[in-house]
Amino acid sequence: MNSLSLIRQKRIGQLKSLIHHPYFGFLVVGALLLFMQGLRAAGVNISITVMRTFGLTMIYVIIGLGFSILLGYAGLASLGTAGFVGIGTYLVGYLTTKMGFPIYIIIIISILGAILIGLIIGFISLRIEGMYLAIITLGLSEILNEVFKNAVEFTNGTNGLNMSTIVFFGTFEVINIETIFTALVFILVLVMVITFNIMKSPTGRAMLAMKNSESAAQAMGVSILKYRLMAFMIATVYAVVGGVLYMTYFGFSIPSSWGLAFSLNILAAIIVGGSRSIYGVLLGTFMIFGLDMAVFQTINVSPTQNASVAAFIARFPEHTEQLSEFFRSLNGAIPTMSYIFNGVLIIIVIMFYPGGLYQLVITLKAKISKLISKVMKKVKVYRYGEDR
Amino acid sequence: MAKIDKVIVQWFLHHRIKQLESKILFEKDYHPFFKEDKKEQHLQKCQRANQTMQASLIQPMIQAGKPSDDIASLLAHKLQKVRTRYYWKNRSLQQWYSRHQEDNAQYQERKRKLHQALLEAETKVRNQFEPSTDMETANAVYETLQAKKRKVYDKACERSLAKFDQKMKQATKRHESILSKLEPRLQKFEDKLLQLDTSNSQLEAALPEGVVLKLDKLSMHFGGLKAVDQLSFEVKRGEIFGLIGPNGAGKTTVFNCITRFYKQTSGNVYFRNRYMEPLNLSKFKVHDVIKEGIVRTFQNVELIWELNVIENLLVAVHTQYRSSFFGQLFNSSRLRKEEQIMRQKAMKILADLELSHYAYWYPLGLPYGILKKVELARTLMVNPDLIILDEPAAGLNDIETVALQKTIRKIRDEYNATIFLVEHDMGLVMEVCDTVCAISFGKLLAIGTPKQIQQSTVVREAYLGGEA
Amino acid sequence: MFFDSVKFWNTFYIITGVTVFLFLFVDFVVIRKILKKPSKRDLASNLIVIGWFIAIVVHLHASLGNFFFFQTLFDKMLGISVLALATTGIVLIFKTSITTNFAQGMLATFGVYVAGIVSMRWAQNTGISSVFQLAMISMIAGAIVAFLMGVAIDVFIIRKSKYITSIGKQMITMGLVLVISGIIPVIFGIDAISVPRISSRPISFEWIGWNFTVSEHALYGMYISVGLLVVLFTALRFTKWGLGVRATASNEIVAGMMGVNTKLITALSWGIAGALGGVAAFMLAQGGTLSAGMMVSTQVNGFMAAILGGFSSFIGPIVGAFMIPILSNLIFYFSPLWQNAIVYLLVLLIVLAKPLGLFGKRIAKKV
Repeated sequence: MNSLSLIRQKRIGQLKSLIHHPYFGFLVVGALLLFMQGLRAAGVNISITVMRTFGLTMIYVIIGLGFSILLGYAGLASLGTAGFVGIGTYLVGYLTTKMGFPIYIIIIISILGAILIGLIIGFISLRIEGMYLAIITLGLSEILNEVFKNAVEFTNGTNGLNMSTIVFFGTFEVINIETIFTALVFILVLVMVITFNIMKSPTGRAMLAMKNSESAAQAMGVSILKYRLMAFMIATVYAVVGGVLYMTYFGFSIPSSWGLAFSLNILAAIIVGGSRSIYGVLLGTFMIFGLDMAVFQTINVSPTQNASVAAFIARFPEHTEQLSEFFRSLNGAIPTMSYIFNGVLIIIVIMFYPGGLYQLVITLKAKISKLISKVMKKVKVYRYGEDR
Repeated sequence: MAKIDKVIVQWFLHHRIKQLESKILFEKDYHPFFKEDKKEQHLQKCQRANQTMQASLIQPMIQAGKPSDDIASLLAHKLQKVRTRYYWKNRSLQQWYSRHQEDNAQYQERKRKLHQALLEAETKVRNQFEPSTDMETANAVYETLQAKKRKVYDKACERSLAKFDQKMKQATKRHESILSKLEPRLQKFEDKLLQLDTSNSQLEAALPEGVVLKLDKLSMHFGGLKAVDQLSFEVKRGEIFGLIGPNGAGKTTVFNCITRFYKQTSGNVYFRNRYMEPLNLSKFKVHDVIKEGIVRTFQNVELIWELNVIENLLVAVHTQYRSSFFGQLFNSSRLRKEEQIMRQKAMKILADLELSHYAYWYPLGLPYGILKKVELARTLMVNPDLIILDEPAAGLNDIETVALQKTIRKIRDEYNATIFLVEHDMGLVMEVCDTVCAISFGKLLAIGTPKQIQQSTVVREAYLGGEA
Repeated sequence: MFFDSVKFWNTFYIITGVTVFLFLFVDFVVIRKILKKPSKRDLASNLIVIGWFIAIVVHLHASLGNFFFFQTLFDKMLGISVLALATTGIVLIFKTSITTNFAQGMLATFGVYVAGIVSMRWAQNTGISSVFQLAMISMIAGAIVAFLMGVAIDVFIIRKSKYITSIGKQMITMGLVLVISGIIPVIFGIDAISVPRISSRPISFEWIGWNFTVSEHALYGMYISVGLLVVLFTALRFTKWGLGVRATASNEIVAGMMGVNTKLITALSWGIAGALGGVAAFMLAQGGTLSAGMMVSTQVNGFMAAILGGFSSFIGPIVGAFMIPILSNLIFYFSPLWQNAIVYLLVLLIVLAKPLGLFGKRIAKKV
């Protein structure tokens, strides 16, 4: 080895260590999202629906990350997510529109409130375990939903609560979706970094120990009480903050959004993506929420509204009627198609890849690299002959 | 009222003392570690500067025709590269010829061309390494450049050394100031504690000097079943103590009572920790026992399958981390330091038990003997006073059992721990234990040296049943 | 509102507060400190909870008076029978497949859609004139389809995912919910479908000096569900299948080794759960149009009932299925908005006191 090549190696090593730094991926995700927004600002035709989909998906990712700590690390299942997100939305809605609180104070209040709720559920989880806990949290969520419906002076009941302004440094400001999108990207990256740190910290290890074997964890000095409370507090804080962000971004909250279906969707997103990895949560949330909103709800193949479909029909003058009938029925079935697609996706992923889509991606990567090396070997034998 | 006051003050003092002790411990652990780390950094900097110097001097050296190992190896490397390229091209040509046998003329032509290309490339490389024709000027250039670079290098090294020295001074100063601040405070608290005269005379009387663990008429009943019945014995500091008995004798129940997994029906468990404080374990919670220095293994291996071996070891020391939750959220520098120290410690223990190879493996799929050893290594992470081993040899073959004997002795000698084990393998127990206690149906049968137990008729009866 | 709700709530708080105090006192002082017999804890807490329930019911009766109290019970007869059937289905699947089946309601909805189609398209063409016969035929058709669908789900999905965690299985059933709710509009179209009414005649009778009315279809619903449950429980108690279910519930692998055909048993359980759900949904749908989300609230109530009674027993969830609708409907008179929230809160309190439900059994854990 000589000095020159050593130096070259060192430079490559520095670049590699930058790419392999754990935060690099999160920054790339944030940069891509900002880039997309920049493209839109520069005049590229990206519809508002797609932007809104990405914005909402980011919020769901934040909620999902908290849940992945709860489920993937502490091994506790909860179906109460929807209720906590709902609390966040109504808290910010009420405090802004009725009381005129600034947004940062609301976030502090909501975090404190979430810690309190997390404490309560954590104590409940000490007595009730497993599936029972899931159903009890479901009951809690239903109670919260009743509160959302009936406490009209706070939540405006089943009509839903509107919020078009936020208070920032003492002045009411109309919600600007673009600005909030940018803020969301930064918050998302921050939350991903924090979640990564929790997962790799002694706390994350203690939680995993608790999930794997409670008695071993206790013998190693892991206090079950402390870490259960902590897991629930983290998950609830993420959920409530997610609710606050949802209301600031979307500006509307209605009790029927915060039912069992939402909790189950979050759970599905985590399980489909892979409950122990941040990228898995990203992938799963996009699969469950993003695809539905960005693809299925925007496709329109009605022959009267979609020009290309009409042109396609016009090419077959003798079958015009059958074709337009077919496209009309297809257009009606597409929204339900998303249900079927999601359902089949969930079932298949869980049956064959219990580690989630992230595991699938990793296996695929390994398989593809294996395949490539095999092909390269074949090519080598063809070009150079067998090794002697 | 005064008594309650005293208890509260005592609790507070204990708490503060433990906090201070852990802080001092961290400081003492961290200081040499910091020194090593900085020294390493300094050396690396010097090395890097040296490399840069060498690299920039290569071209002038060639020009001046100075012989050097570096140049020779570089030349060899480049030639090797050219030849390798020729080798593969040649093989490709052979392959082509094997498919087009009839085209001999073209083959010969291509072969000749290839060979010529090789020769050309080689001469080109050699030409690059030819010394300059104007030797003297080249030499002069080389000399001046070398002197210049040498100066730069020396300067860089010097600067690095100065920085290193300064940092060392600062660190030592900081270390000393912290210690000088903390140690008197610790002394003050300890004096206060002494003034309070909290030495619990009852507990002191119950635990004779040199005894680390004492069971006092311990009973554990499950409904009507008396799993442990009025059991009393003492474990001395630094010995290897074996608990034997037929199946269902209540050995594991005894363990679970000591480590607080079960709450005994009556009786007491006393323990003397590393500060020679007598404790009544009845008042402890399961997860607090480890802080006093009692750590156990399990009958069936209870590792954390989702963490690799070294992280499994780190789980055991998670109570020793001093960085706050917010520190963990933002991966503070303190947490990173602590993590480095703990990892070093874990690696050392793994090396001691000959497990270094498995440090980054996931336990799922490792052989059973290794898993048992990993569990043993995990207990060593907390500087234990009393290690409780629940059937350490279960599922091991004979060779592994013999190795385990050695390991247990080594742990006792090197880590200054008392070892308390339950085992069915009589060979191991008789070989390794200093004292053996035999129980049957929760009652004490006999206690003594292995030889005494072997000759005891009571024990034989319990194992073989009646007159045998 | 002509009931004295302030007085009612005051007494209610007093009763609940006293119960909580009594519970804590008995648990922490009497049993742990004085008697030192933890085995008696379950009995004592059972007694206290049942006593509390009786006190609440008596209090409700006293504040509502005879007529409103019993009329509410008669009105709720159908609801109780529907909930009992749905809950039994959930518990059956929980015992054999160790998962909470979220698809139970959707299976039932699919069955009742089939029943609606059968009654509208097929049965009318064959010329059956009696509404009762038509209803019975379509109900049985719906139940059979739900049965087959349950069996199919077990055979093709659940059986293949034996080694997945229970939360994973739970997610699979959630995926099934999505698939079925996507399939329903595709298969059955988006036109309004309704099932035939068994009977729409109200029956009046006089009892303890008051004139009560019960609708006849509620009576039929009660007969059907009681009949089905009696048959099911007899089968569970006395047949080989029932023994197999109980064996599978306690340990599937060991049961399989002992020669129990666990595959057949889980398949049958899924089928029976589906059929029970189909019948329940049919009775719930009486006199209204069908919708994909019609079973959701029943499903949630079913989970609540099951957790209140305890998943580990069969009789407990039925008791839960009685308690939840009765409490919720009686409390309705005093707090028409918060009735469900209050009942869920009460269930939460009870489950906190008895984590495994009223009739649940503790399983010892080995360290």
